[in-house]
Amino acid sequence: MIERVEQLLERVEKPARYTGSEMNTEVKPIGETDISFAFCFPDTYEVAMSHLGMKILYSIINALPYAVCERVCMPWIDMLEGMKKEDIPLFSLESRTPLHRFDIVGFTLQYEMSYTNILEMLSLGGVPVKASERGDSDPIVVAGGPCASNPEPLHAFIDAFMMGDGEEVIVEVIDTLNDCKKQHLPRQERLKKLAGIEGVYVPSLYLATYNEDGTLMSFTPTDPAAPATVRKRFVRDMDAAAYPETIPVPYTQIVHDRIMLEIMRGCTRGCRFCQAGMLYRPVRERSLDKLMELSQKLVDSTGYEEISLSSLSSGDYSCLSSLCEGLMERFSDKRVSISLPSLRIDSVVKDSLAQTQKVKKSSLTFAPEAGTQRLRDVINKGVTEEDLLEKLRDAFEGGWNSVKLYFMLGLPTETQADLEGIAKLAQAAVRAYYAVPKDKRAKGLRVTCSASVFVPKPFTPFQWCAQDPMDVVKQKQSDLRKMFGAARGATFHWHDPSISYLEACFAVGDRKLADVLYRAWELGCRLDGWNDQFRYDLWMQAFTDCKVDSAFYANRPRGLEELLPWDFIDIGVTKKYLRLEYERALRGQTTRDCRLGCNGCGIERTKGLCALCE
Amino acid sequence: MIVVFEKGFALRHIGHLDLMRTIQRALRRTTLPIRYSNGFNPHIQLSFAAPLSVGVVGMREVMDVPMVEDVAPTTFTEQLNQVLPGCLRVRSARAVSDDYPTLMALVAGSAIRVQWDASDDGERIAAALPQFLGQESCVTLRKTKSGENMTNIRPFVTDATITKGDHGYTLCCTIANRKEGSLKPVVLMRALCEIAGIEQIPHIAYRDAILARNGEGRLIALEEYENA
Repeated sequence: MIERVEQLLERVEKPARYTGSEMNTEVKPIGETDISFAFCFPDTYEVAMSHLGMKILYSIINALPYAVCERVCMPWIDMLEGMKKEDIPLFSLESRTPLHRFDIVGFTLQYEMSYTNILEMLSLGGVPVKASERGDSDPIVVAGGPCASNPEPLHAFIDAFMMGDGEEVIVEVIDTLNDCKKQHLPRQERLKKLAGIEGVYVPSLYLATYNEDGTLMSFTPTDPAAPATVRKRFVRDMDAAAYPETIPVPYTQIVHDRIMLEIMRGCTRGCRFCQAGMLYRPVRERSLDKLMELSQKLVDSTGYEEISLSSLSSGDYSCLSSLCEGLMERFSDKRVSISLPSLRIDSVVKDSLAQTQKVKKSSLTFAPEAGTQRLRDVINKGVTEEDLLEKLRDAFEGGWNSVKLYFMLGLPTETQADLEGIAKLAQAAVRAYYAVPKDKRAKGLRVTCSASVFVPKPFTPFQWCAQDPMDVVKQKQSDLRKMFGAARGATFHWHDPSISYLEACFAVGDRKLADVLYRAWELGCRLDGWNDQFRYDLWMQAFTDCKVDSAFYANRPRGLEELLPWDFIDIGVTKKYLRLEYERALRGQTTRDCRLGCNGCGIERTKGLCALCE
Repeated sequence: MIVVFEKGFALRHIGHLDLMRTIQRALRRTTLPIRYSNGFNPHIQLSFAAPLSVGVVGMREVMDVPMVEDVAPTTFTEQLNQVLPGCLRVRSARAVSDDYPTLMALVAGSAIRVQWDASDDGERIAAALPQFLGQESCVTLRKTKSGENMTNIRPFVTDATITKGDHGYTLCCTIANRKEGSLKPVVLMRALCEIAGIEQIPHIAYRDAILARNGEGRLIALEEYENA
């Protein structure tokens, strides 16, 4: 007998997305453990398998003798339609177990535009989409990741959110639910037990009320089990924190097809638009010894030919040069190359440039974010044009010919001069290349400038700011295109502003957006992060059908005294500090890097958490 | 090192380049003295006798993995099998001298087996084989790297037989390598379905062996080829 799934695989575009059995994915048989966890990534296999967080939690859960973790990804359209037609439920990659048979279904929330995929995956997996419609025999649906910092648009679909570093809380969640399962507790009791874990938010145990103008009036727990403030969990010691010593090695190429070595978590820079920079405070480094040990184990167990040093700001790692040298020396016999993906322009030291070059030369990325010093001061991007041009000169002299420059459009206080600044900076980059003598530079210059649209994010100093209306964004993009049309040697890329618009709505959204999300999914929205699948018209119809005004979220500046939907979460950084930073931004006043002295962001309230503010 | 390996059922959708990368990564997990190419992006040297069509299970695939120093074939097999996923298995390895011909140049054809479930349509396909074999020519659409073209596929196929077992039908045949290339089992199946006047039905194809011609011109399993 040839199974139905196998028959379907013959007909889809990339069957290897669904076949599993990759190296290092052999897990315990699902029936032989006390509790099972489906790690769901709400995007396709290639994106899912590139995600470091999944690999960390996968190894932590599978190391528990009584638990098993399997992976589930969002199928691409052809598979999705085939599965619906053939009545095949969404299944795990390891054992092809239908999603509804797992005890716990966990989603990672990396990106707002993946939310419809969560609904689609639950539905396809036989799990009731709405939390209120789930019964005692249905899985408990949990979620974590950066977008859990504003969980409200998803409150109707997720039973419990986990705030902060997942490796700190996941085992407690699994153990609690395992106890509940043994005691055959009803669903509601299980959720109350979960609410008792620090860092866990169970939305069904809270009530939100609204003012007439649509803003939040009150947000309160309705059950004694639920804390009024949900406090984020922190990993204190990165060397002690679990990190996988072996990771799955996919057969087909994925987005980041290499070993990702997380050298540190957090960032000290304090860029005011950057949510990750605020969420992942304080900065915590892994030691050189630990990183050498982990990389050896990972190279031995995966055979990968590349290690990428991963963090928010790898150039700031205190022992970067020693680490690069050490890795290069250790793995030169196996021809393993080292890459630095996240480089801030003020931290690219010539040394590390020379080191990475020894093995492999890839394109260099710089993120000045704004076109003028004034605006860079507003966003606290402590980088000057001279810095940038100096680094570019170093890079061109070092043999690089391809650089990418990242900018943001529509930042708070932006003017026409700031837009012109972007084009001028690109031209200066081109001039810096031609200033290097012909025999000393590599041929074929490529300067690629890419401008995303500013999206206000919770827990940033710009959480109160509005996004530019879409016609304004389009005008700015078209102005920039014209300026670049005149500039030689540099190309300009821009993003679809309608996707950024929805991203803004959901980033700062409240509970009312759950209806819109559900309606959009009903209308057929899914895979919204893929330009060719995104249906702005259907999304707008969903807002209309639900009588919800999208501009209320994306284009309205929020009042400083307003109760924000995510205010009940203590993320570490205080609202008071964010407000202070916002006010400094409006004055164009910069804030120092916190390695130069504590700025009192709020992390210091917990003793021993931040090594820098002691 | 001439290596015979199995590319199992679970891996039949993995393409040639992905398979190559998978084996290169497996080799890097061993301590075998593999040979790297020179240049900017050094990679592990290895060459396959004949790429396997996506969707086909490879029972005795053959590759050449050059070593920088002598290794006992049993050591090679043990080490590599330890680090390969379960659906990829080394069956045997044989050390050959440096003047051994390149595998690709030796390939004369493949021993192919196709299985499908018992059904009325299955029976019709089985009945279509004698008609196919009786024709001098069978022109059908064939996709190649250079595009689609109409090809007479009849000369590719020899020694074809169909047997009926408890679970269904099994077609065994030899598919020759010709100047216009090779023939994918799925194209042969489509031709048989056309003759039978039915839609394509689900089937599984296996390449049981890659074939070479020995000194006497007889077809043998490639891995048994002895350098004269």
